[in-house]
Amino acid sequence: MNGAGPVLSGLAALVYAVILAPIIVVVTLAFSADSFILFPPSGYSLRWFQALAAHAPLLSALWLSVQVACVVTLLSLAVGVPAALALAKGEFRGKDALTGFFLAPLLLPTLITGLALLLFFTPMRLTATLPGLVLGHMTVTVPFVIRMMTTALSNLPHDIEAAAATLGATPFRVVRRVTLPLATPGLIACACLSFLLSFDETVISLFISGPRASTLPVEMVRYVEGRTDPLIAALSVVLIVATLIVVVAVERLVGVARAIGK
Amino acid sequence: MSYLELAGLQKRYGGSVAVDDVSLSVEKGESVALLGPSGCGKTTTLRMLAGLIQPDRGTIRVDDVEITRLAAHKRNMGYVFQSYALFPHLTVSRNVAFGLEERGIGKAEIARQVEEGLALVRLDGLGGRRPRELSGGQQQRVALARALVIHPSVLLLDESLSNLDAKLRDTMRHEIRSIQRSLGITTLFVTHDQVEALTMCDRIAVMNRGRIAQIGTAEDIYERPATRFVAEFVGRANALPATRDTEGKVVLWGAAHPVAAPPQGAFDLFVRPQRMRIVSASEPTGGETVRVTGRVLRSVFVGDHVEVLVEGAGGQLAVEMPSGTTAPTEGAEVAVIWQAKDSLPFACEAA
Repeated sequence: MNGAGPVLSGLAALVYAVILAPIIVVVTLAFSADSFILFPPSGYSLRWFQALAAHAPLLSALWLSVQVACVVTLLSLAVGVPAALALAKGEFRGKDALTGFFLAPLLLPTLITGLALLLFFTPMRLTATLPGLVLGHMTVTVPFVIRMMTTALSNLPHDIEAAAATLGATPFRVVRRVTLPLATPGLIACACLSFLLSFDETVISLFISGPRASTLPVEMVRYVEGRTDPLIAALSVVLIVATLIVVVAVERLVGVARAIGK
Repeated sequence: MSYLELAGLQKRYGGSVAVDDVSLSVEKGESVALLGPSGCGKTTTLRMLAGLIQPDRGTIRVDDVEITRLAAHKRNMGYVFQSYALFPHLTVSRNVAFGLEERGIGKAEIARQVEEGLALVRLDGLGGRRPRELSGGQQQRVALARALVIHPSVLLLDESLSNLDAKLRDTMRHEIRSIQRSLGITTLFVTHDQVEALTMCDRIAVMNRGRIAQIGTAEDIYERPATRFVAEFVGRANALPATRDTEGKVVLWGAAHPVAAPPQGAFDLFVRPQRMRIVSASEPTGGETVRVTGRVLRSVFVGDHVEVLVEGAGGQLAVEMPSGTTAPTEGAEVAVIWQAKDSLPFACEAA
């Protein structure tokens, strides 16, 4: 017999059902015609999507979040990929210590990071600014990129970089012509995940956002604190659909890259 | 001064020595095999030559220029990896062109040389394929072409045939040998397969535990092994425990024999099974011949020869008889004879 037994499969199905059930509630609520959150809704409409399209604070927060996530992704890759290259391929003293140091932020509760950043940014007037938010999010994404890319780079086919070197490629050219092209699937996955990490980042953002600049998760938290209508549910559906599109697109892209790669 | 000179090369990893004082001179156009069991340091030696591993001690000179500390990409050595290490994201042509592109050669010239290279390894017309679309043998040829088109100062082959099936390996052996000869390219060939070493190379360096145990032609190595290890590793040999009698004569299986022996210590006589002949127990023999008697345990037909296992007073020995001759029946009393000069005494290793 193949795969898990009926008991295990049943258990897995149950766990998934518990995880996904709230999403079904959210999706149902998004199409509610009521003025308050009521489940099941007494009628269905698209009024909350229309309301969302007219809601300036949420839309500007969404726009800010997208901007922050884009900048964070680019900068994280720009910082993280060379660092991962050095850690995966280089031979130097203190390499292990550096690896540990770079990964340490992943172990720190973001609550503490957020508070530390707030204390650190306030005198520098970086709170509630785009650079401040970007730097804050990068404390999460850079260690993540370094970790993922170090793994991806150490899993490249054996000897292939050595082969490029014996054929006359300088270390820089080896990275450019062999290492990075072969690590492309990893790079794409890494870029998408750091985009999502930044886009989704709430705790740190709560600390360093302000009235002048607040990201979408922060704005959503504030909204549900004061209001009890299904607008946020409509927004959630939009986000779910957007995320799904990105994930599917990446899956295809990476799939294609893998097919070319090996 | 030879074309390629390795002098006193040493590489340690922590407490263990991978390569210990390896010196080797290779003439231009010569093909030399580094033969040895796995872990003997042969691949480490090859990698140090290519600049992929830094030696702790010793020097490497090519054409009278020292390259010991030169970076791999400046050495111009063609390296064919055991795994082939083809670039999976590039076509066959681009794989072969890689080294030429890194040298900044013009596009038209690259195209011409790639075509030539692919023709040399008989892969014409497959330039547009991806490596994964090729068979193991074809991938091997791409790796070879890629290493050859850069006109390397030395061609380094690292267990290059070990991933191929037996028949293909045989074909590739001859093909690589003829390419190597026709281009007159200096070649170092790492292998644990003695047939590969014997058929593909002008000289063989047998390595053991990080050192070169013996360097010589295939015949030297086979006929006149310098150490017990070489005698055991290359070809088959009967190791027959022998002793001395009071007059210092060598005693084997209870009889004295006209064989030279080391003055002291326990030793074995090494005799190749092909050098032994089986004669009837009553047949007399001449003075320079060793003769032992025993009983045939069994005869096995192995295609190109018949292997006869004989048991006597001092143990067992194997004799290879050419097929076509009638093997003695099992249980027959026979004499095994060989020329005294074909027995090589080697001291027993301290346990």
